[in-house]
Amino acid sequence: MRRFLRRGAWLTIALAGLWPGAAEAQGYRLRLDSRVQRVTYRGLTMDSIPVDEVVTGPTGGPRTPDDFAVRCPAGRAHCFFFRAGPELTGGPMVTTADLTLWGVGVRGLSIRVNGRLGLDLDGDETWPGTDPAMQLIEAYAEYAHRQFTVRGGRQLLFHRLGITGFDGGRGIVRLGRSGLEVDGYAGLGLARATALTPTSPVLDPLDEFQPQSRQIVAGAAVGYHGRTWDARVDYQREVDRDTRNFVSERAAIALDFRPIPRWSFTAGLDYDLANTWVGNADAAVKYTAPWITVTGGLRQYRPHFDLWTIWGAFSPVPYHAAEAAAFVRPIRSLELRGRLERYTYSNTETETPLVDVDDDGWRLGAGASYDLGRSWHFDAGYREEYGPGASSHGFDGLVTWLPTTILSITGYGSTLDRPLEFRFNEASVDVLGVEAEWRPADQLRLAIGGARYWESRDRPDAAAFDWDQTRLHARVTLLLRSDTDGFRLPPALRTRPRAGSR
Amino acid sequence: MRLRSRSGLLLVIGALAGGTAMAWVTRDRFDHWQHRELFPSCVGCHAGAAEPNASLWPAQTNCADCHDGTIEERVDWAPPAAPRASNLKFTHQSHAEEVLRHSADSALRCSACHTEPGADRMQVRPAVVRSCLDCHGIREAHLEAPDSACVSCHVPLVQAVRLTRTDVSRFPAPATHRAPGFYEEGHGDQARVGDGGVAASCATCHARDFCTECHVDAPEVPAIQALQPDARSLAHRAELRAPASHEDPSFVFRHGEPARREAGRCATCHTQESCLGCHQASPTVALAMHTPAPGRGPGARVERKRPPSHGLDFSDQHADVASARPQSCGACHARSQCLDCHRPNAADQSPGYHPAGFLTTHPAAAYTRDQSCADCHNQSQFCANCHVSAGLGSTKGLRGVGYHDAKAEFLLNHGQAARQNLESCVSCHSERDCLTCHSAVGGRRFNPHGPGFDPETLRRKNPSMCTACHGTTVPGD
Repeated sequence: MRRFLRRGAWLTIALAGLWPGAAEAQGYRLRLDSRVQRVTYRGLTMDSIPVDEVVTGPTGGPRTPDDFAVRCPAGRAHCFFFRAGPELTGGPMVTTADLTLWGVGVRGLSIRVNGRLGLDLDGDETWPGTDPAMQLIEAYAEYAHRQFTVRGGRQLLFHRLGITGFDGGRGIVRLGRSGLEVDGYAGLGLARATALTPTSPVLDPLDEFQPQSRQIVAGAAVGYHGRTWDARVDYQREVDRDTRNFVSERAAIALDFRPIPRWSFTAGLDYDLANTWVGNADAAVKYTAPWITVTGGLRQYRPHFDLWTIWGAFSPVPYHAAEAAAFVRPIRSLELRGRLERYTYSNTETETPLVDVDDDGWRLGAGASYDLGRSWHFDAGYREEYGPGASSHGFDGLVTWLPTTILSITGYGSTLDRPLEFRFNEASVDVLGVEAEWRPADQLRLAIGGARYWESRDRPDAAAFDWDQTRLHARVTLLLRSDTDGFRLPPALRTRPRAGSR
Repeated sequence: MRLRSRSGLLLVIGALAGGTAMAWVTRDRFDHWQHRELFPSCVGCHAGAAEPNASLWPAQTNCADCHDGTIEERVDWAPPAAPRASNLKFTHQSHAEEVLRHSADSALRCSACHTEPGADRMQVRPAVVRSCLDCHGIREAHLEAPDSACVSCHVPLVQAVRLTRTDVSRFPAPATHRAPGFYEEGHGDQARVGDGGVAASCATCHARDFCTECHVDAPEVPAIQALQPDARSLAHRAELRAPASHEDPSFVFRHGEPARREAGRCATCHTQESCLGCHQASPTVALAMHTPAPGRGPGARVERKRPPSHGLDFSDQHADVASARPQSCGACHARSQCLDCHRPNAADQSPGYHPAGFLTTHPAAAYTRDQSCADCHNQSQFCANCHVSAGLGSTKGLRGVGYHDAKAEFLLNHGQAARQNLESCVSCHSERDCLTCHSAVGGRRFNPHGPGFDPETLRRKNPSMCTACHGTTVPGD
């Protein structure tokens, strides 16, 4: 409890520190978003019994007397098995403050801060992402001029190579009206996809190799923006500060070509200069009209690992996929969609005569949305996925009712079967939930909801278990802004994925 | 039935109103032609047209001399109490002085204005505008007269204090107002006179209030400020019209450059709100515009719309476009909107980027990476951390405990699965687990290197990686 109070005090201090600056600035926007939920999850607990207590089960395999299938490694005195783990309850609450200041005395100068306070109200920190409690996602000052932009501080860079976080500087120069721009940046890097340094103990739950100091990140890019095409070429390297070894060295290109109205060709590729292989790549042709969007494309996916891990040397192979998707709006109120992808892994050059593993798979989804007047919205879809490791198939559906323009009530449900390939585990999940959102003002949004999960993890021994639970959640989003800011809270439900779209 | 009675009532009211109006018209018009034999001179009745301090109208008793009910029927007429409301600067007295200076034939001079050319003296009608123009040397039609000509006969609207708003609304529009481009550029060029002045022709019919119906930059435009405020000018409704340049479908994407180059032009019709409606991510672009304020136009209403290029599946398929031209996204989208999806929120009860209940359903998507999980989720912080809590993490070394029990000899034959789904392996297994067998110094020396492995380059880039398995005797050194 004391810990919770201490963290709450930190949040208060942080917000209090932000507020006076905002109030004095010519223009500001501060979005506070706080979400909390109560959720349980249940895993497994490894157990063992002496070899001589093992019995033979009905199918001839070794089992415990209470019918758990066991594995008895050769030469060991004990056999191992997994029981259903305890139900772990988490109460993650995450408050995000997103502040932008402008008009701070110098025209073109703005300041941006995005920070997050994450707490597990149950105190056990069983939920991922809540440790450490305070995380500074971004905090930088930017000076934007017609011909250049400079930025200093903690920042995230979104580009073809993914999301790169670093503490440092970035400069962008736009070369007149040529459409060319040159981008360069350097700083001390953050761990991939997190606001933490790679040396943080939080990032080492398995006690693995970990760098001793933060890496230096540096990169450059050249972009062209024209009437019919845009392109950007990126180069980025990360270097260990202590050993001067590379942590990564990659280049990428992204292209968006629009030769004729409604048709576009997009493509991208990243190349790993250290492993000398192509990482992710894709190319797609898209036809876009007000009533239809059709996409067809090819892509390759290969994971990327930093070079301070050994995983790159294990030669992860890519898969190659062909995909097609269509979104059709035959009438204004109806949207139909479908997606299909087929993929095949490259040859792994391994011999595994005793284990048969799939090397290809597919994904498909289909769905429909329908608006009945302005008050009712229906969405339903089916998706199915079959591939190495796991498969799944199931339905999703939701109904949204807007009795007024400021209140929406959504009921949703889904059913899913999810068999695993490498473990006896035929999970099925049924969900029914409801969520209400109230937006009494442009600056305030409140939401509350709950869902009932019926989950069954079936397998042919005593390790099968049911795990039903009720999840509750609440959300408050508050927008404080100056008079010069036209931003309003966008509808919260706009990012709800449409059933069957993925 | 109710409808029928209402219709009848309307008809009665209409008939009464129409009859009253007709009667008024009949009484009001004096038939000069019928009286042509009685009045040899205009000034006999309209003495004020020639003599200062005399009345322009005959006395009521003058009519009653004949219209006494015996000689002629009585008439109900009285001279107007005040001059007719108009924006004319003309007065009969001033004209009379000019007339007397040139000729004593006042009757002739009256007919010069009040009859059509060639008509009899007593075929009187309100002043013939063409005659005014001719005398004043104006060759063009009335509403096509040059700017300087208006002041010959008219006072500015603000001085025509007896005109009502309804009167103003009846002002005819000159032909110039219908010319192509008049609303975009034309009217400004015509309105500007000298250094900070405004054309008299504009001021004749308009006042500052009219301009501020549209002009956001009204306080900064000298020609508008040269006009006096007058609410009656709002009788003419002005509507903002998008210039032709805005009709180009690509204008929404291409307006940045002209906006930077000529921000003043945009500021004519747009307030900061116009920019901020879309440019939520970069509010500084709006600084060149004015904020809404009294004395300024409300500005064009800009509605934030999903661009056609986004199609219907853009939320799923925007990576390449966003990578190729990131600044385009930044024009409309606040950075926090990207972070809503591209940063994991531990407390988010999905629906966000993932469907509701994705935690339960994620293995199928994660095994073969439908999307790149690692772009948003740190493998260690998010995946391994949670798997350890769920009892799935391999925290005590590789002991062959048999989690993968659906494949009997998975430990010995996991190579294909591992190379296909290495990220999934890493979400539960540590490097130490793999080095149990795959180390060249402390393990069983199973070679993990497979297709695409480039030892030379890797060793050059990061030799420490090699020593993790090979110790100090890295092959090729």
